[in-house]
Amino acid sequence: MRNTLIRNILLFLGLTFLQVMIFDNLRLGNFIHPYVYVLFVMLLPFDTPRWKLIINGFLIGMTIDIFNGTPGLNAASTVLMAYLRPNIINLTTRKSDIDGKTAPSVSEMGMKWFLPYCILLLIIHNFTLFMLEAFSFHLIGLVLLETLMSVIFSSIVIVLIILIFKPIKNK
Amino acid sequence: MYNLLVLLKKYSTTILFVLLELLCFLLIVNSLPFQNRKMVSVSNRIAGRWYRIVSNCSDYLHLKTQNDMLAEHNAMLMNQLENLSATTDSLIINDMYTFVPAHVIKNTIYETNNYIVIDKGEIDGIEPDMGVICDNGVVGKVVNVSNHFASIMSLLNSYSIVSCRFIDNQYVANVVWDNMNYRYGKVKDIPSHLIINKGDTLVTSGYSSMFPPDIIMGTIEEYDYDENEMFSSAKMKFSTNFSTLRHVYVVKNNYKSEIDSLCVTH
Repeated sequence: MRNTLIRNILLFLGLTFLQVMIFDNLRLGNFIHPYVYVLFVMLLPFDTPRWKLIINGFLIGMTIDIFNGTPGLNAASTVLMAYLRPNIINLTTRKSDIDGKTAPSVSEMGMKWFLPYCILLLIIHNFTLFMLEAFSFHLIGLVLLETLMSVIFSSIVIVLIILIFKPIKNK
Repeated sequence: MYNLLVLLKKYSTTILFVLLELLCFLLIVNSLPFQNRKMVSVSNRIAGRWYRIVSNCSDYLHLKTQNDMLAEHNAMLMNQLENLSATTDSLIINDMYTFVPAHVIKNTIYETNNYIVIDKGEIDGIEPDMGVICDNGVVGKVVNVSNHFASIMSLLNSYSIVSCRFIDNQYVANVVWDNMNYRYGKVKDIPSHLIINKGDTLVTSGYSSMFPPDIIMGTIEEYDYDENEMFSSAKMKFSTNFSTLRHVYVVKNNYKSEIDSLCVTH
């Protein structure tokens, strides 16, 4: 229990650091905006109740927002993503697959399971975020393009991060 | 109460979610300039529509006071017009008549002797034997006055008799009511040699001190010409619609006592 808490706090700080220091400063054209901090919400244990997911999502989203000077933008999309996380897990997983597993991580569920789960959540998060940024239905085409490019790039980056840190998490 | 708590507990997560999203949305709208402008314009549109509905309703509620204001204004303009026409004709005394606007609060049209009650009385300077007109024509004359109210003998009264004048040839006759129909009166004492057509207009003569001259009274509807009589009579349609009477003006003749004192000298 204490272990999980410390691990989560480290994950929170680490991902915030990565997002604010590196990925927010990347200039990869107009359509690619990688958001890797959502990995924190993705990796919370299976048995986390929905309200804890929402609170966690709000906290990390708001932290990113404070650094970016866009209060509410990331928080709103991350809260929505966290709220829908149990539904996405139900969608991608059979009940029996989760038995005995603690967290929806690559090391426990395998890359084949993790990738669609990660992409679905990223689509929710990025679409909401770009929609709120555009704040108009006239720009829906642009928003969809932005979402597509960013989801692709973000999922690649997230997989890379997981692969980099995998040896440490392995016993 | 317990059920409410159960319900709250059941949906607590969703409520938390909605509250957090609402908070985020408020933050976005308040801090990001583009989103803020957009939101302000949307809310302006909604609020504008809403306020238009509200003002439509409240305008309707304020119609009565608006009407009163208009009547007041109308009376003022009539007074000004009276002064103006008086100043252009140097032979006529200045500001002979003033008008007091009033509301009809009781009105009958189907009796033999019809009376109207208005909401102005002695306090407003109303006295018996003052004439009463409305926007469309002559109404009657004041017969009784209390502090706040006055009763008017309308033209629809068997005792009513008002002198009138044909606008075409300036001949003078008298208008009475024959108890038949509130839309029609009778013109009597028409000299028989006059040629009268349907539609000829009658106005007040100005010979009585009650009414200013040239206030419209009605138009000729039917003329029963009798060669053997010295005077003949005609059916007249009142220009005033007594069944829809609302606003009237009491005519105050500022020189009435002076005129009357001349009449009773012998």
